[in-house]
Amino acid sequence: MNHGAEARRASVPQSALAVQSYAVPVERPECRTLFSEFVIPDSSSPGESLIEVGALQASEFNFAALRVEAFSVAIIEPRPRAISVAIGATKPRIRTFTFAGGDDQNDPLPCPTLGRPLPHAPRIAPADGNGSASAIDRLATITRIAPPEDLIKLEDRLQCVLQPPLETLLAQQSLDFPAHPFPYQFEGVAFLYPRFGALLADEMGLGKTMQAITAIRLLLHAGQVRRVLLVCPKPLVTNWQREFAHWAPEVPVIAIEGDRNKRHWQWHQTDVPVKIANYEALCRDHELLADPAARFDLVVLDESQRIKNRASTTAQVVRSIQRRRSWALTGTPVENSPEDLVGIFEFIAPGHLSSQMKPRRMGRLAADYMLRRTKDRVLKDLPPKLFRDADVELTPQQRESYRLAEDDGVLRLSELGEGATIQHVFELVLRLKQICNFDPATGESAKLERLLADVEEVTASGQKALVFSQWVGTLETLAERLDRFGTLQYHGRIPSRDRDGVIRQFRQDPRKHVLLISYGAGGVGLNLQFAGYVFLFDRWWNPAVEDQAVNRAHRIGAAGPVTVTRFLAADTIEQRIDQVLRDKREIFDTIFSDAQPSKHRGLTQQEIFGLFKLKCPAGPIRVAG
Amino acid sequence: MASDRGQTAVPSLGFLTVVPHPQHGLFGGYLLLNASGRPLEFHCTAPLKPNRAQEILFGPTLESYLYGEQIGQSLAAKASQAPLVMLSDVPAMLALRPFVAQPVVLVLPDAEPARTGEANGSTFHRVDAAHGQLRGLFTFSFGRNALALDAAHADDRATARERLALVAETFDLAEPFGRIRAAIDEAQRSGR
Repeated sequence: MNHGAEARRASVPQSALAVQSYAVPVERPECRTLFSEFVIPDSSSPGESLIEVGALQASEFNFAALRVEAFSVAIIEPRPRAISVAIGATKPRIRTFTFAGGDDQNDPLPCPTLGRPLPHAPRIAPADGNGSASAIDRLATITRIAPPEDLIKLEDRLQCVLQPPLETLLAQQSLDFPAHPFPYQFEGVAFLYPRFGALLADEMGLGKTMQAITAIRLLLHAGQVRRVLLVCPKPLVTNWQREFAHWAPEVPVIAIEGDRNKRHWQWHQTDVPVKIANYEALCRDHELLADPAARFDLVVLDESQRIKNRASTTAQVVRSIQRRRSWALTGTPVENSPEDLVGIFEFIAPGHLSSQMKPRRMGRLAADYMLRRTKDRVLKDLPPKLFRDADVELTPQQRESYRLAEDDGVLRLSELGEGATIQHVFELVLRLKQICNFDPATGESAKLERLLADVEEVTASGQKALVFSQWVGTLETLAERLDRFGTLQYHGRIPSRDRDGVIRQFRQDPRKHVLLISYGAGGVGLNLQFAGYVFLFDRWWNPAVEDQAVNRAHRIGAAGPVTVTRFLAADTIEQRIDQVLRDKREIFDTIFSDAQPSKHRGLTQQEIFGLFKLKCPAGPIRVAG
Repeated sequence: MASDRGQTAVPSLGFLTVVPHPQHGLFGGYLLLNASGRPLEFHCTAPLKPNRAQEILFGPTLESYLYGEQIGQSLAAKASQAPLVMLSDVPAMLALRPFVAQPVVLVLPDAEPARTGEANGSTFHRVDAAHGQLRGLFTFSFGRNALALDAAHADDRATARERLALVAETFDLAEPFGRIRAAIDEAQRSGR
């Protein structure tokens, strides 16, 4: 009998991963003893696995015979539970928007009669098929046209968003510029272009005219507008004609002027896409505008503060014009009160603002319709504008004259009581302001003494200065006193035909250092950026007019800083007016919270009476200045 | 399987991109422009977010699967016309190429294409150096636009150049992607 252990092949199920072997006495199978255990690494081999069991001394177990049994042990489940995992057969949901013909958001209008763009217009250079690296110029700037908030439908908004950037539109239509616009000007054009109601309220000197003309030009070329009416103050009509010739030479323009028959013919002329009319002509011809044929695709109001009074004839006539788009331009959207803005909005978005609104809410609601930038925010390279408030003490003689005039005037106003009118107060204010300039008895002037010292310095450094006053008489007196510095005059008593010559001489003659200008004649339309000094000899009622004056010198092209000296006679009516105007800035700042503080407010009737602590009589409030 | 839809009479270019949003997932946008750069069609997807299983199982190929097969293919199928060339600013979108008939071109960031001194100015770039399947980019230039094809479809270069020359004369090929992003943003805001 073989007492040695048997080495056997054990049959192991193929799925087993571990094997335990037992020694089993043949005669006492219940005494099974484990003697080996091992794991089969691969359970995937087909058929039976062979298990080699080493020799075993039967004597060690004292059994007559042993047999080996092998069992499979499932230490890993032979058939794992299968889990199906979806790995993404889901297709994304898709929204589709189609745009007919790839044109702009409205059906293009029949193309107006436009001339050919300039032949030397720069294009984005084509990319040649040979891959020349010099063939295409990447756009230096990309100005996107954002949809206005009153565009409600998503499809319309997307159509706006998906249009090419402004620079591409201009390049594709070969629209050239005589000078490269500033980026903020492109932004202004992109603001106007998609809007049906818009107020461009940039500070003076930033180029509202150019931005409006470029936006009109683009709309004309895109076929979005065909008939445009531009309304401006009469003195600015020729300026607009000149600017159109400069910025959009291919766009035919006609100024509405002449006798009634001629104007009638001009209003109905269809082959000229842009008509320019002054506010007075518009009011005269309002019946002609009632004709359904006189419908405009776009009406642009320049100096739109002209319609701030909603009840005025001008405002009513302007609002009656049949039109699709309404744009307003002004550097002074709020001159006196938030009500001014409501008046302008009645033209661009009727009912959007109301005079009952608080300034903050009004500013929020107006924001999407309005764009206002100031020079110090967008023209970083423009030389600074330095203000000096020259508070002068009246000479003793001036002070005495002033006191007498004021006491007498206030007494007379008090005696008038309820019968006092704005004219009475106004006369007193003017009288006092004149005394602040020159003493009527002696001709003494504290302001002049200070001015002489300053102009001496200006002249010594070879610079030029502008001196503004509201009175021609004051300017003529100054001309005599400042004669040795080389003075020229520009005001209402200088014939219109001579005025260009005055400006030319001032610019070219190195001996002429001082130009004496009245606010009325020289406040707008003059480019005097070669003058480095501005003196406001007396103050205007409305700082917007002062700003206009200062901006004759401080504008694009100014070579150096502009120093502005504002004369103010201490303890006089000038100081009180200045304080009232300062207080009113807060209203402006609240509405235009994103804009820099401005000074575009005049005095109301109540405020003028208040200068003398007088109660304002009942009646309509009128604005001075 | 490549789409066999024919091109329409209006020559157009297709611009495809994907905008990832940290919360919502991936927004796909497809803009068809005419030769003037004006929009003809715009298609955008609802946000798509890969599930955990996809992230694990697709591994490094997940992006090209989602961008090219899921988003790109779905958007391309929705368009009513087939563009001359499809362009994207997302490398993973090149995975769309086997599913459409047109060349799918990658517009590289605003930089000159790499110069290798090769006669044709072309070279191969690895975009997946760290891991993932081996995929090369075949770059070439078109004007000042630096473009690339999936190296597996480098033969598309001649076709792409020829078709781009037909319509893209005044195109900055990178610019329209900004429009798509703005449009997706607009659509997203309108949905809120």
